[in-house]
Amino acid sequence: MKKIIAMLLALALVVMSFAACGTGETAKTDGGEMVLYTWEAMFPQEVLDAFTEETGIKINYVNFDTDETMLAKLQAAEGGEYDLIIADDYIIETAIAEGLVAELDMEKIPSVGNVNPIYQGQFYDPDDKYTVPYGAGVQTIVYDPSVVDVDINGYSDLWDASLESNIGITSNYRVMNGMALKVMGESYNTEDIATIEAAGAKMLELAPNIRLIKDDNIQDDLLSGEIGAAVMYTSQVTMAMLANPELKVVYPDEGIGFGVMGMFVPSKAPNSEGAHKFIEYILDPEVSAQCFEYLGYYCTNKEADALINDEYKSFLTLPEDFSGDTEMIGNISAEAAEAHAKVWTEFKTATGN
Amino acid sequence: MLLPLFIFTIVFVLGPLVYMVVLSFLQRAETWGVTNEFTFKNYLNILEPVYLSTFVESFKLAIISTVLIILIGYPFGYFMAKLTAKWKKRTMMLLMIPFWTSSLIRLYGWIIIFRANGVLDKILMALGITEEPLKVLYTYPAVVVGMIYALLPFMIFAVYSSAEKMDWSLVEAARDLGASRMRAFLTVTLKMTLPGLLSGIILTFVPSMGLFFIADILGGNKVVLVGSLIQDQLMKAHNWPFAAALAVVLTVITSVMIALYRKISGVKELEGIV
Repeated sequence: MKKIIAMLLALALVVMSFAACGTGETAKTDGGEMVLYTWEAMFPQEVLDAFTEETGIKINYVNFDTDETMLAKLQAAEGGEYDLIIADDYIIETAIAEGLVAELDMEKIPSVGNVNPIYQGQFYDPDDKYTVPYGAGVQTIVYDPSVVDVDINGYSDLWDASLESNIGITSNYRVMNGMALKVMGESYNTEDIATIEAAGAKMLELAPNIRLIKDDNIQDDLLSGEIGAAVMYTSQVTMAMLANPELKVVYPDEGIGFGVMGMFVPSKAPNSEGAHKFIEYILDPEVSAQCFEYLGYYCTNKEADALINDEYKSFLTLPEDFSGDTEMIGNISAEAAEAHAKVWTEFKTATGN
Repeated sequence: MLLPLFIFTIVFVLGPLVYMVVLSFLQRAETWGVTNEFTFKNYLNILEPVYLSTFVESFKLAIISTVLIILIGYPFGYFMAKLTAKWKKRTMMLLMIPFWTSSLIRLYGWIIIFRANGVLDKILMALGITEEPLKVLYTYPAVVVGMIYALLPFMIFAVYSSAEKMDWSLVEAARDLGASRMRAFLTVTLKMTLPGLLSGIILTFVPSMGLFFIADILGGNKVVLVGSLIQDQLMKAHNWPFAAALAVVLTVITSVMIALYRKISGVKELEGIV
């Protein structure tokens, strides 16, 4: 008897899942299909549904977890299979160099003028021929003014002795060694070994102030009072600020660094037409604002800045009068990368002693 | 009958090992991946003081943890063997239950205990022992507690399984022949449980060389062990050959320790894991 009930239940489940499939098909999809390949949770579902509603193009959302996986799959597909990809700047540089990216037809994307020029013309696509930015991570310092005695205005303030054992940082060593490089007035992307080593020596002086180094959920430590200040990723800044609006976000005096996520169309995309339509659709200021509030990354659409809810403005848009230096972290030579990794290990070891 | 086992071993054990050794003699490519040029550079690189220090640090943590685990685990296993059958089963159960939860989740439990104004601070402050949060989390002692917590059961089971099998009448005989309690323990009990103790040491010392995620989570990434260095080189620096060379050296060191154990104890199998 029990078995029969179990079988019936299983059958019911199967039927229900078919029914669920059925309802999905009712949207009109005469515009064909478009394969969108990116990380999980990059768009609110309403935006994707509205796009299908408007254009009749059905979106097949496919996920990857790391940029490297994406590149490997795209190489295997020889630039086909996918219609629109969103990935990080440095991997796009490699994909373009390998001929896997198609030039965009800007006539089909009239709204490209909405993009904030700060994020354009960067190393991975100097002439903006292949990509349109979709969100940026900006490296900022966040601190709790109620437990920190100094005013933090830039990276150099993190070296202040009053911050002993009170700072948390992430483990991206290009960004962290980069703080020292910036304090020294150097470029993030210097390939001069002596300069990188000097930055390493500077980092050793910072070691006593470091309480923890971690990538995941560092905002929790700031919120619980474990640390008073942190250098962290934008998505974490968003979570920290939503939980405690009294925290302060600092755009360092020395200039800011950022990473951009870019949308591009692969060289042999089956539905390049649809991909262009999608880019144009996303560049609409209202749609963009909806996306960035959901995504929690910096708004790359200048026209959308004003539409972002005030609650999020201080950490999803750059200040209106922002005029500081900006520099992106790009790929560097193997020797320079090794020097970075080495001084970083020295620094980490020093923080433990 | 044995063929599938051989194939399995070759594909999943020998294969990756050979791949790792080969990788350790190659050069890293400019952005990511490797080039097929033969080099000893990766091994010479390990001799840099900063990288050698991670081996020293790993040994130091492994020794501290193992000594503390012996001090707690040996008496535990010894007295557990003296319990009645019913209580043996119950104790065993109590030791096993935490293993049903992911070790990562159990570590997060320690964060809740150690964090500022966490469980430990609340208790100590309520008792009036401390006045301010201790900030134990992200310190060396927190890492040591995590290591002990993760590895203690291996020591207990190893000691227990030797003490269980022991013929207690030998201890009685020693006592009858005039040996003091201490002497009987040292000459009879300790000797008979030595294989268990030694395998307990191997079962805690060897993994503690590699359990870097405990140092990362409870130590705030500040204690750099060989394991975390390998992870950094592989995932962050994309220097696969150097990571492979570090892994080969670590594998050799642990193999030597196991060989030494066999030589000293004269035992072929590790006690307490079957």
